[in-house]
Amino acid sequence: MSDEPDKAKSSETQGTSNPEAADTLPGPEELLTDPTRRRFFQRVAIGGGAALTGGAAAYAAARISLQGLPEQDYPQIDEKLFKPKDQRDVVLTFVSSKTLNEKHPERNEQYKRLQKKAFDWLNGMRDMYSKPWDNRKPGYTQMDRALQKAGWHPLEVGGSRASANLQPNTGLHSWDQSDLEKEQYEFESKKAASDAIKSAARVFGSVKCGIARRDKRWDYDPLYDLENDRELSWEKDFPFEPKTVIVLLTAQDYDCISTAPAWTADGTVGDSYSQMGVKADQMAKFLRGMGYQAVSAGNDLGNSVAYGIMAGLGEAGRNNQLIAPGVGPRVRIAKIYTDLDFVEYDQPHNWGITDFCLSCGKCAEACPSNAIPLPEDKDGGYGFEPTYEFSDEPGYTWNNQLGIRKFYSDAKKCYNFWVENGGGCGACIASCTFNEPDYWHHWFIMAINPIAPGFLHGLMAEAHPAFGYGHTNDPKKVIKFWKSGEGMRTNLDLKNNIGTSNKS
Amino acid sequence: MELMQWFFMGVLFTLSVFALAYLSMVVKLEWYTWAGLITGVIMVLFGIGWAGASFLEGYPQSGSLGLAIFSGGGVVLMTLTWRHLVTPALSRHAK
Repeated sequence: MSDEPDKAKSSETQGTSNPEAADTLPGPEELLTDPTRRRFFQRVAIGGGAALTGGAAAYAAARISLQGLPEQDYPQIDEKLFKPKDQRDVVLTFVSSKTLNEKHPERNEQYKRLQKKAFDWLNGMRDMYSKPWDNRKPGYTQMDRALQKAGWHPLEVGGSRASANLQPNTGLHSWDQSDLEKEQYEFESKKAASDAIKSAARVFGSVKCGIARRDKRWDYDPLYDLENDRELSWEKDFPFEPKTVIVLLTAQDYDCISTAPAWTADGTVGDSYSQMGVKADQMAKFLRGMGYQAVSAGNDLGNSVAYGIMAGLGEAGRNNQLIAPGVGPRVRIAKIYTDLDFVEYDQPHNWGITDFCLSCGKCAEACPSNAIPLPEDKDGGYGFEPTYEFSDEPGYTWNNQLGIRKFYSDAKKCYNFWVENGGGCGACIASCTFNEPDYWHHWFIMAINPIAPGFLHGLMAEAHPAFGYGHTNDPKKVIKFWKSGEGMRTNLDLKNNIGTSNKS
Repeated sequence: MELMQWFFMGVLFTLSVFALAYLSMVVKLEWYTWAGLITGVIMVLFGIGWAGASFLEGYPQSGSLGLAIFSGGGVVLMTLTWRHLVTPALSRHAK
């Protein structure tokens, strides 16, 4: 204690420029015993430690938030309205079948009368990709058309192009079980089985994988063979009784889908359809190799979005698509029906996405055909039955999926735009607030979303375009996309590893 | 680039901790003054992190707005706190 004044004195001289003062500078031991300095460094340590602990806690909380909360309320069903879904009432099936069109001329007549449009449902699908290109118009050039067709090509080669229009039992999605191994592999536990399935899904290139119980409410019943105009029964025609549905998500390229509704965007749509056909086929083959019966499916057999939700992969959005945290609606969904039931099932989860959609509506604003309900519409477009224009006209909605609480969009108007556009659209994907590249600040928004109050959801929805995201119908995005291959020789950022730009 | 951004943020964080610890040595401040200063530092760092990620993903508009709103907001908050709460406290301390 007696030498403290001297130390204080030496401490005071530290900052001087007097060379003679250097002789009086304290040594390291003296510095450590200086109570002022000790107190200073104690506070630095406490403050820095508290900040780091707080940061680590916030990071951990965000990770937990991104797991989602188990959702007990899905699905909410109005039993008076709900009934099994006839595949023939799905727009894509109807527009692909000459027989169905001949059987239901009133459907076409009603659409033409109400929408005041002369529209050829059947030939629309055929003519969609034969619209002439214009090389002066970004997004609608010969190069964009070529990308579009190349994207779909593997699915065509695999014989499953029709599965996009719900044709069951196609090349990659064959019902054939002749390669089934006789010996059944026995898993150590249900968790081991689930982990193995998800590991295989990762190898095949899926961005996410979940496992749901087979649920007849989501299966088209009866199934319909478009090519042979034949009704198919789950009990008589399907090769086995499925117990489980494995759901695989394939991500689409961020920069490419951003060009929507240009033909360019259809390049990644077609490619992801091809990829999901391949991945689902691989998963089915993997299961059959272990002695379990399995059939893969694209859009066919069942409602992909509902199964995606049941498998805990995301929530249903206003755009009627599965919105998966991290990739948003920029995913395509494949399913594998199997009789393996010794697995740990996933369950629906809540990330506050549907709640967010109630306040948002950016997809509806971006939709070129006004097929998606706006937040200003009755009940925000969210209910047990459609509220869109003409939905109260008998026969207009084809009773498609009535009775489930969700957003209802007019699929016929959506398809009508595809035909006029000369290719699929994707504007509702590109404009979605949840469609973001893989960077920390988007994960941060996703993590705080469940605890954000409604008014903040509205603010976030407005901030999204204000910050430059989600604009559609923009030729500059097409030009940007066609330059996104720069640096691919070395690919130092591992671009497009999971379908996002610049970062894996 | 991303590594440089995190490194720069780490340097800023360290300097901020040292600055606040030094301030705590020279003057006694109310809890709300500390809240203002610490929130300001967090906002500045958040804005830099946001902007860095936005520029890297190719959205300069998001980066610029992130800097203006988050970091700018943090600077404004710290300035107001300093002028109206820290400076008077320093004056009282000097007397």
